Amino acid sequence: MKITNLLFLLGLGLLTACDKQLDIDPFQSVDQDAALGSDATVKAVLIGAYDQISSGNLYGGNNLRDADLLGGTGEVLWVGTFNSPDEIARKQISTGNGDAEVTWLSSYEAINTVNNVLNALDVVDADDRDRVEGEARFIRGLLYFDLVRFYAQPYAAGGGNDQAGVPLVLTPTDVITADNNVSRASVQAVYDQVLSDLTTAADLLPETNGIFANSYTATALLARVYLQQGNYAAARDAADTMIESGRYMLTADYASAFMNGSNSTEDIFAIQVSSQDGVNNLTTFYSIPDFGGRDGDIEILPAHLALYEEDDQRLALFFERGGATYTGKFNDQFANVTIIRLAEMYLIRAEANERLDTEVGATPLEDINRIRNRSGLDDLDEVDLEYILDERRRELAFEGFRIHDIKRLQETVGAFAYDAPELVFPIPARETVANPNLEQNEGYD
Amino acid sequence: MKQLLLALFGLGLSFSVVAQRVIEGTISDEDGTPLIGASVLAQGTTTGTVSDIDGNFTLTVADEVTNLVVSYTGFATQTVPLDGSTTIDIVLSEDAAQLSEVVVVGYGKQIRSTLTGNVAQIDGGDIENLPVSSVEQAMQGRSAGVFVQAVSGKPGGRINIRIRGSSSISAGNQPLYVVDGVPITSGTFSSPGSGSQNFLADLNPNDVESIEILKDASAAAIYGSRAANGVVLITTKQGQSGKAKVNVNLSGGASEPSRLREFLNAEEYVTLFRQTAVGAGRYDFNNGLNDFGLPDDEYTLENTIAAYTEFVEGRLDRYSGFSDWRTNETDTDWQDQAFQTGKNQNADVSVSGGSDKLAYYTSFGYSDQEGILAGNGFRRLSTRLNLDAQASEKFTYGMRLAFSRSDNERVSNDNQFSTPLQLIALSPITPVRNTTNEDYRGFAPGQLLDRPVTTYYNGLVELANSEKQSISYRTLGNVFGQYTLAPGLSVRAEAGVDVANLKQNRFLGSLTDGGEATNGYADSRWSNIVNYTTKALLLYDRAFESGHNLDFVGGVEFQKSNSENILVTATEFPLDQLRTISSAADITGGSTDLTEFTFQSYFGRANYNFDRRYLFSLSARLDGSSRFGANNRYGFFPAAAAGWVLSEEEFLDGNPVVSYLKLRSSYGLTGNADISNFASLGLYGASAYGGTSGLAPSQIFNPDLTWENTAQFDVGLDFGFFKNRLSGELDFYNKHTTDLLLNVPVPGTTGFRSQIRNLGELRNRGVEVLLNAVVSDAAFGWSTSVNFSYNDNKVLALAPGQDIIDDGGNRYMNVVKVGESLGSFYGYEYAGVDPTNGDGLFYVNETDDNGNIVNPEATTNNANEANFVILGNALPNTLAGWTNNFTFGGVSLDVFFQGSFGNEVHNSAGNFMSCGGCWFDNQTRDQLDAWTPENTDTDVPEARFYWGNADANRSSRYLSNGDFIRLKTLTLSYELPVTLIDRLGLSRLRVYVTGQNLALITKYDGWDPEVAADFLADDSPNIQTSVDFYTAPQPRTIIFGLNVGL
Repeated sequence: MKITNLLFLLGLGLLTACDKQLDIDPFQSVDQDAALGSDATVKAVLIGAYDQISSGNLYGGNNLRDADLLGGTGEVLWVGTFNSPDEIARKQISTGNGDAEVTWLSSYEAINTVNNVLNALDVVDADDRDRVEGEARFIRGLLYFDLVRFYAQPYAAGGGNDQAGVPLVLTPTDVITADNNVSRASVQAVYDQVLSDLTTAADLLPETNGIFANSYTATALLARVYLQQGNYAAARDAADTMIESGRYMLTADYASAFMNGSNSTEDIFAIQVSSQDGVNNLTTFYSIPDFGGRDGDIEILPAHLALYEEDDQRLALFFERGGATYTGKFNDQFANVTIIRLAEMYLIRAEANERLDTEVGATPLEDINRIRNRSGLDDLDEVDLEYILDERRRELAFEGFRIHDIKRLQETVGAFAYDAPELVFPIPARETVANPNLEQNEGYD
Repeated sequence: MKQLLLALFGLGLSFSVVAQRVIEGTISDEDGTPLIGASVLAQGTTTGTVSDIDGNFTLTVADEVTNLVVSYTGFATQTVPLDGSTTIDIVLSEDAAQLSEVVVVGYGKQIRSTLTGNVAQIDGGDIENLPVSSVEQAMQGRSAGVFVQAVSGKPGGRINIRIRGSSSISAGNQPLYVVDGVPITSGTFSSPGSGSQNFLADLNPNDVESIEILKDASAAAIYGSRAANGVVLITTKQGQSGKAKVNVNLSGGASEPSRLREFLNAEEYVTLFRQTAVGAGRYDFNNGLNDFGLPDDEYTLENTIAAYTEFVEGRLDRYSGFSDWRTNETDTDWQDQAFQTGKNQNADVSVSGGSDKLAYYTSFGYSDQEGILAGNGFRRLSTRLNLDAQASEKFTYGMRLAFSRSDNERVSNDNQFSTPLQLIALSPITPVRNTTNEDYRGFAPGQLLDRPVTTYYNGLVELANSEKQSISYRTLGNVFGQYTLAPGLSVRAEAGVDVANLKQNRFLGSLTDGGEATNGYADSRWSNIVNYTTKALLLYDRAFESGHNLDFVGGVEFQKSNSENILVTATEFPLDQLRTISSAADITGGSTDLTEFTFQSYFGRANYNFDRRYLFSLSARLDGSSRFGANNRYGFFPAAAAGWVLSEEEFLDGNPVVSYLKLRSSYGLTGNADISNFASLGLYGASAYGGTSGLAPSQIFNPDLTWENTAQFDVGLDFGFFKNRLSGELDFYNKHTTDLLLNVPVPGTTGFRSQIRNLGELRNRGVEVLLNAVVSDAAFGWSTSVNFSYNDNKVLALAPGQDIIDDGGNRYMNVVKVGESLGSFYGYEYAGVDPTNGDGLFYVNETDDNGNIVNPEATTNNANEANFVILGNALPNTLAGWTNNFTFGGVSLDVFFQGSFGNEVHNSAGNFMSCGGCWFDNQTRDQLDAWTPENTDTDVPEARFYWGNADANRSSRYLSNGDFIRLKTLTLSYELPVTLIDRLGLSRLRVYVTGQNLALITKYDGWDPEVAADFLADDSPNIQTSVDFYTAPQPRTIIFGLNVGL
């Protein structure tokens, strides 16, 4: 009977011993309470938010690329096989456009993450609380600024701006109920939130903060936001604050401002990329296989090259392969993606001073000559607004400015007016299905 | 001693005095193989015996006995008259209806005639020696209601199985696989950069004795929370006591693609691209787009066409390399480059036998199947040892142990430029290699050309400069012991382990797309999946004299699975020959991850029948799993069934037509637990930025998460007519699944994309028919079997207020929509071409508030103005299989057809390969019929380079009927006569030729309508199906083979 006993024991053992075997904790994740329960973990969640915005869908490249595909008609030609950027380049965007969808989703993922941080500030050490809040608000302000620029009709400098913007979500998501079906706030409300977040951030943040956002980063972004709103005085003053801080310096030559593994002296904010972490989608789409790009998906057309003077070092940075021309700014897949650099601040100050007929910090001519000299060009004797805007187009080409400038300046893209519905992303189809309170953009319903 | 002998002798004498005689004989089957353990009973008495290992028996019977009753499982019981002779050779014939055969059921075996559930059985012999890489592939078309789909023609890849339809939207739909009682690690394993590989390919199909598919609730509910998709029980071969039997099978052959697709040759290509440039210029100018940025004063129609033509011709210069496209100097057939003729070699040896206390089965198998895609192949080495021993009258024990090594030479998944079939996108004007004697654009003489000369990455560069290996080392083992406590009552314990060790090494050389920017790239992944099960069973089986028969099984079972992955990636290799990561200068990534799940279960089943006439069955399982929320950890799954064997009733007794008739019905609950391991928790996952570690929300919590529940009703009729020469089964079922484990899309503004909730309802309803017939059993024999099934799959409800799940974006159009079949195609309805301007048109399909289309004839040339409509099913609703076996003398011919009907197939590469030359991809030949001012009566819109024309991927333009009938298998064999092989000292010698996928009847224009692009099937196996994206067709394989028996 020994064997029978053994069998029964085995059976009995199974019956009694195994209930706790059903409790298994995951090995690669932690419970949300653990993640938001201590100073160290909340700070880690903040880093998690930086990681999220470094996604290729956002500031790892696509938010910059899409601005130039939307606005680059006649100057760039999308020749890649990906459907989504192809639709964006041709202004035939479907509501199912994959890039328009992931940009939306990834942005709100990061917004929820920083909302969690902002909600858990009381567990952060008092000494660091301002910095953590400032960084979280900087990230949120940056995301909402780009969301409202891509998914809504442009901000009208004259005011009004009660056209639909994007949903404003400012608290973390615990449970999902019908309350989460948030409607779109007005463009004005979104800009107000952006300004509130960024001015608070500029206030709270320290002057230095490693590769992360500091007070000047927030100020620089404010300059960009004010310019987009046509608030030239505020834009000028923010840019001037930045420049006069003396913390950033133009690189010695134009090419050195690009393809840097660590931030250059000119970088005010850059997404960190290395061979181990992060992605540089500008390389992916603008560059060629030799440098880790796809296949030169974006070709530069003669109309763009015609903007440069012959000796311009910026012109020399373009390169040719197989009969097509490409930008040489992104030929390193492991280089950082620059989001804000000092040259933009000079250009903002120059444009605003020119428009306001002021000379805060420097004359427009001085600022423009500084930019020109760096690219190996001689001083000019005079500049006008048109020249400043052209200089901006040359200096910041393919860095994510084109469509936003066209909308701000009320120019046209090929056959499309600056406020044509085709130049606004659709609210992603999956989103209008999941949230019945979301109003679709004109031209997409 | 002497007295004793005398006494015995006296006893013998005394018996002989009451008139007894000794009958001797042998029992064999129709092939002459002795049947071991057949029972011989003197009719009307309790005297009986069983045949020994040579089929011999000796029985002493009283004189008044006139008949012997001889029976053997799986054979028709025979009554043999005693005509006075004392030596009788009895030949039993196999029971045509196989009604008395034993079928394997959950935790036991049962005689088919007493089954109340629906169990489909496939005999191992039917699937032996087929040129397929895994068992389930061989199952295709052989059982009613079992959908088997090889997603592509890549060997060792994913096989989708759906038993009685798809019952889940977001959780798994594959059945539970149980091999010799052990629930194994099944499904697929991901493979970096390639389609995932099939865990079942590690099992040698030639080791399989039988496959039982538990389809209804009565049969499957004992597997509880994992039974809703059906259960597949695989039983491996077992030794029989007797002299050693040696079986050798050798075969070899070749595979080629079963079908090709037609593309443009160089001359046609050049013609179309000149035409498409003109179309583009016209479109640009007419719409004021000026995409080439011409100065305002030069922006005329003529100049615009010239600009496009210049661009196109510039590209033709580039793509034709050193040759001249204007004279069609190069005319490359890239499809030809993508395919290869794959060699196929197989060798199997098995030895089985044993003493009366120990039986063994051992085997060794080798299979080498080169794929039809260049660089693709699958090799398996396997061994098995199965032992069954009897320690005492009361105690039996045994083991099953198998080792295998499967080596998958992978190719990239269908979504990569490097996958061989994407070569067809390259231009026919492009040479494959530099055939000049000097460097051309950096390509040395003889070197494969690549970008910028080729339109896209030349996948042949990948094949020549990379290595993608995936090797699985698999151990499947279990031991069991059974002890008889009392007559009919026994206890049984089993412990099983399934260890999968996988090694996936990939190296991409410095010329490849993945390696050229970093002087090579390598990744190495090692994975270990250990799955163990222990169980204890109490078994009772008793036949009472009054006709009551009862059997019972009850038990507990515990299962734990543990899975770990280790991955290292690296770049910067000194040269391409050094491929291991120790040679890399930059280790770019390293990770390990670990996950586990457990199941703790209690189950039982009782079967009762009276006189094998009235049948009843009750079963239940209580399942607990680590996968479910704290609030809902245990689930209960009961089932009940009843059957009535009408043919046992007096009114049918001796009926000349009806030999067997059974009505049965069952109802029960089963569950589906096939979701990720921690789906119920609210989680933060680790991340990193700039060298600092971080945390971010990864999943929103749902403590109520629990099983999907499937309630299934089945009513069936089993019948045999004309002495079971015609037999079959007819079933109707209704499978209603509620509390779906639904990945509910939530507003992205929450920071999440979806949440798994128990919401929604789905129904599968259908009929299954199985017919077996022996048409002729004369010298020319013909037996045939037909199965047919129809399944209506319908989504009844999603989350409240939700009508559709649409994750197709702009490339795919499979959706989940209430009222439709799972994965139905939802997109624009293509309306042909406007003859006046060549615009492709879509039906507007505008609906009113009630969802009715208001103006069905209205069309538009602007896709954004049109509305999506349901365009067809992605899942076939009708499946059929037809097997035929013809014999004449030693010659045997098996012919097997398989059919699948009722779905459409989406060519989601349509907007690359059939878009009127919208880019430089080579085009399908139908594009030559594109609209021109001279050719206005056509369905192909005007060819417009760059802009495309009605080439939205989500439209019925790229959808075709997916019905097909395939001549799946044809085997012609010759068995040498016994007299001849005796002289050779053999017991068997058979030669055969088998053809697989020999013919296909379909309206589909592409390679193969049996398709589900691998990267999509891996990502979304339930929904994104019947989508073709450069997906390889099934191979047509012909092998010649030899079976030798010693």
